[in-house]
Amino acid sequence: MAADSPQPPAVAVENLTKVFKAGLGKAAFTAVRDLSLTVQPGEVYGLIGPNGCGKSTTMKAILGLVIPTHGRTAIFGRSSTLVESRREVGFLPENPYFYKHLNGLETLLFYGRLCNMKAAELKDRAREMLALTGLEDAADRRVSGYSKGMLQRLGLAQALLHQPRLIVLDEPTAGVDPAGSRKIRDLILSFKSQGITVLVTSHLLEQMQEVCDRVGIMAHGQMVRQGRVDELIAVENETELVLADASPELLAEIRALVESKGQGAKVVRSGHPRTTLEKLFLEVADQ
Amino acid sequence: MHSSFSPSRIWTLAMATVTQLLRMKIMAFLLVFCVIVVAAGFAFPVMNPEQQLKLLKDVSFGALQLFSIVMAVCATALLLPRDLEDRTLYTILAKPVPRHEYLLGKLLGVLVLIGAGLILMDLAFSGVLWLRQSLVLAQSVNALQQEGTATPEAIAQLQAFVGKQGLTWNLHLGVAAIFFKAAVVTALTLMISCFASSTLFTIVISFLVTLIGHGQGLIREYFLTGHAGAVKKGLSALLAIITPDMGAFDIVDNVINGQAVTLTAFGFMATTAGTYLLGYAVVSHLLFVEKEL
Repeated sequence: MAADSPQPPAVAVENLTKVFKAGLGKAAFTAVRDLSLTVQPGEVYGLIGPNGCGKSTTMKAILGLVIPTHGRTAIFGRSSTLVESRREVGFLPENPYFYKHLNGLETLLFYGRLCNMKAAELKDRAREMLALTGLEDAADRRVSGYSKGMLQRLGLAQALLHQPRLIVLDEPTAGVDPAGSRKIRDLILSFKSQGITVLVTSHLLEQMQEVCDRVGIMAHGQMVRQGRVDELIAVENETELVLADASPELLAEIRALVESKGQGAKVVRSGHPRTTLEKLFLEVADQ
Repeated sequence: MHSSFSPSRIWTLAMATVTQLLRMKIMAFLLVFCVIVVAAGFAFPVMNPEQQLKLLKDVSFGALQLFSIVMAVCATALLLPRDLEDRTLYTILAKPVPRHEYLLGKLLGVLVLIGAGLILMDLAFSGVLWLRQSLVLAQSVNALQQEGTATPEAIAQLQAFVGKQGLTWNLHLGVAAIFFKAAVVTALTLMISCFASSTLFTIVISFLVTLIGHGQGLIREYFLTGHAGAVKKGLSALLAIITPDMGAFDIVDNVINGQAVTLTAFGFMATTAGTYLLGYAVVSHLLFVEKEL
């Protein structure tokens, strides 16, 4: 983490308000209201909230795709309204679509050229990204024949192509099967280990909990809570003790000890911890 | 520093647009065109030589104009809404691509496609016209010889006449004029698609404005010299301002009739087209830069 680093934050959103004008006779719609957040370089920040709470609008404002009504957004210290702020950003939109007439490799070459990548470097990098996202075998197939999961992976490949310092992922696991979803989770963790900043939204809260350093919870266009994941989800007045191979007698002794010397403390529950359905699925699928 | 104008990025976008349109099979029109030209060239052998060559030029130029205007409106109207609907626009503009480069890339792509299509059709048309012209000349000389009037003067006169009605550089200038007109319509359609709510709206309005543009000279005249009331004059003035003067590119009839196009007239057309292109591109940018995605 680089909280004390002199370099500017990877993402800075200050008092962002976005009001969409409506047609004649209709009221304007406020998608985001006075929202502020900061993402430090190297951090994985999760933006969560119900549908329509303003997550995507916030991301679009950060990427300069919509213009804030009030407030400002910046990437590595450069205002999002400047095109050059997007040099170091890779963006994966929700349910991405690409030109259907291009194949996987052509798609990456197209996006690479838009980033002014040199031809020789671009070809190697495109092949590398196809391998990373498991699309090597589909490189010469038209994108129109790709499944939803493959499109998502191609979207990730184009976002990573020019080696950005910040990756913005809008629902990266939408429509992806659990194995693919786990792969994306692993990729996010690998970005983190490489010092790449990630700003991500997802409805898979368990995965967000696994990968994010900090999260912001949005509702009705506003930031309701934000902070470090372990701090936000900790239940302050409870303590967890997990034992392996404990006999029933030992458990009874512990329970008795708490009752006799607990000074008001009590055992709330005990039993076997449960794995998740996702982990079970992946274990069974691997077998 | 990041360059806010990169010809290579614009070219990348233009080539993607060309490929996109080509794979929509729109160039099938070229095949239809070739069939029309061949049919027009050889279907009416009983007409006199002048009529035969004129008919071939009439039909071919009509098809060229139809191709270029339909392509300019329909292909351009599809591009921006489709990119927005498919969210391809998000991934493009999330890269360091200024919005004006995106627009220029799209505009250039359509112009390259129309230009290439017109060149191919011009080649096919020229080939058929040259062949027809040679046949007509041979038949006419043969007829003179049978009548016993094939004097060197008569043959020279016939050659000059057929040559004037046949393949000349003038015809290519006529094709260039068609390209200029299509370029203006393309830029106009792109501008309309920057604020239109649907592809259908863009197509209808673009065709309407193009149609009115063909009568812009009359409207202007009415506005400047007519004795109508203030409301009518105001409306005429508005139409004259918002519609392009398509009459400026109407040299095709002169070309078909064998009249020479002067360099001054050609230069005027090129300058007019360039001015319209620049004007529409600037307004498109102003509209698109503010567009909420």
